[in-house]
Amino acid sequence: MRPLTDAWRSATSRLILIYGALFAIWCVILLGVVQWESSRYLTNVVDGMLAARLHYLERTDTRRLTDTVDAASAIDATGFMAAGLFDAQGRRLAGNVGKIPKGLEEDGVVRAVTAQVQDHPSEAGRRARGLASTLPNGQRLVVVKESATIDGLGAIIRRGALWGLSLTLIPGLLGGILIARRPARRVRQIQLAMEPIREGDLSVRLPVSGAGDEVDLLAGTVNTTLGEIERLLGEVKGVTDNIAHDLRTPLTRMRTRLYRVQQQIEGTPQAEQLEAAVEEIDTVLARFRALLRVSELEDHRRSACFENMDLGTVLKNVHDFYAPLAEDRHQRFELDVGKLPPLRGDPQLMFEAFANLVGNAIKFTPNGGAIRMVALTDPTGDARIDIADTGPGIPVGERDAVFRRFYRGDETRAKPGCGLGLAIVSAIVRLHGYSLAVGGNDEGAVFSVTCPAA
Amino acid sequence: MPRALVIEDDEVTARDIVAELGAHGLQADWVANGRDGLARALADGYDIITLDRMLPGMDGIDVVSELRKRAVETPVLMISALSDVDERVRGLRAGGDDYLTKPFAPDELAARAEVLLRRNRPAANETRLRVEDLELDLVKHNALRSGQPLTLLPTEFRLLEFLMRNAGQIVTRQMIFEHVWGFHFDPGTNVIDVHIGRLRRKIDGAGQVPLIRTVRGSGYVLAPAD
Repeated sequence: MRPLTDAWRSATSRLILIYGALFAIWCVILLGVVQWESSRYLTNVVDGMLAARLHYLERTDTRRLTDTVDAASAIDATGFMAAGLFDAQGRRLAGNVGKIPKGLEEDGVVRAVTAQVQDHPSEAGRRARGLASTLPNGQRLVVVKESATIDGLGAIIRRGALWGLSLTLIPGLLGGILIARRPARRVRQIQLAMEPIREGDLSVRLPVSGAGDEVDLLAGTVNTTLGEIERLLGEVKGVTDNIAHDLRTPLTRMRTRLYRVQQQIEGTPQAEQLEAAVEEIDTVLARFRALLRVSELEDHRRSACFENMDLGTVLKNVHDFYAPLAEDRHQRFELDVGKLPPLRGDPQLMFEAFANLVGNAIKFTPNGGAIRMVALTDPTGDARIDIADTGPGIPVGERDAVFRRFYRGDETRAKPGCGLGLAIVSAIVRLHGYSLAVGGNDEGAVFSVTCPAA
Repeated sequence: MPRALVIEDDEVTARDIVAELGAHGLQADWVANGRDGLARALADGYDIITLDRMLPGMDGIDVVSELRKRAVETPVLMISALSDVDERVRGLRAGGDDYLTKPFAPDELAARAEVLLRRNRPAANETRLRVEDLELDLVKHNALRSGQPLTLLPTEFRLLEFLMRNAGQIVTRQMIFEHVWGFHFDPGTNVIDVHIGRLRRKIDGAGQVPLIRTVRGSGYVLAPAD
């Protein structure tokens, strides 16, 4: 699982980003509307003023018009509002508008134009609103008013919008990151707490902060679920264990009685029958013992006996113990122990684990085959023990299943056994914090135990 | 007649134990709780004690600890329903000499009791063991049958020593595994039989009286010829 370390990947951060983006878009739309409405209002005011000014000039006596236009122009020397009188050919007769702005029709409609106003620093022309009309004598009247006010208002609103957005979004985003870090940290804690649960330790619970938020709510629900799963598994295991435990006493008594009778009538055909029955009971008892052994190991109560362990000696003992059996079956059984790192563990349990693995290897390898046990330090510094045989191998699809209790593959069903040996190995390996893998091919299985150095 | 003290709170089990020990020539007394058991064990000279792990009044571990503290060295066979290896270790460390988990076959209990009785005799300190014409020199580390040296591997030597020390007594496969290899779990295979088979081929040569006998359903016995 990918660790949730990047704050930007958290759901809260994403929500904050989405919310921030929506907020910014909304701000832009809102200010756009304000700007548009303000501009429209100011434009209407300006247009009205232009119309009033033109109306006044149109009705002025033609003989005094030149003076009136000049006077009107003089009112606003900065060119804030300018007027011009032109002859039919467009030559200026009076006023401070340099020439008739391009595109300005004499149709009573106010238009946005570029106007040149005399005596004004900006000779190139300025953005303005303009209105023109043609007098009955053919002269043309032009009034213009700069758009600077309207444009200025737009600029003020845009600047305001920029300030507003930056003052809102930057602290918002920073705050968001800080807020998002807490849930991300808690999710990380939960993720860490889940690791042992994934490994099968159902006694672990997720951390609850006590804040009563949704993460707590979720952790609480998961904890309740875990508790219930643990209880149910415990019950199932308890039932299995109790069956195994309770049946052992009557079976043992039955065995004792049969055995006594068998001893009394030894030498008769019935005694042989009884001997077979006693052997059957012994098989059942051995299975119950193995089943209870798996449970005992899975209860993780054995770690108290861990010590600095010489695994090489353990493996040598396993080899000595099993070598005669392999020899009887004309199998080659080799042991190759290299230098091993210091290990902590329980030699008794490790003997049991490797005894099971070697016992299996001998059992499933045909007469004349070979079993090889190799122990070495792998490149990472851990001890690795491979037990390879020349048996039928374990199909890829069964490699996880073989470690389950009572699992017996197609190849192994015909052989004696109860399918608990590898469950015991698996439990011992887990108890030590070691790892167990199965590999190989059609020409044999390879069981590898990796033991991290102490 | 050797005397055994049975400290066991379950009457059915106690009866089985007393009967089985009786059948093997021991005179067994029964006590149902730990406190009385300790008092009897301290007062009377018993040759062996079978002690249940969980008892009313006083725990089995406490009883054996107390006995050892008071320098009573009577062999103690701990019996318990707790099969956990930790429990065995605890029982043995407290001073128990052997450990048997319930349920057990009574003949296994008798076999273990006899091994304990034998171990407690001065013969345990012998350096030379002899059964019929089979000899084992524990110092020189050699074995002879009819005066002829036998070539034994170290494991075979230990196995033969265990069988000879308990000559005439049944030893179970589990006991052999525990004593010779020193491990406390059920190896669950016929490996012990293979080891015995190899040892048997070495000591019981052609024309010689077979010394190692298989006791069906129980184990093995190294017995002098009848």
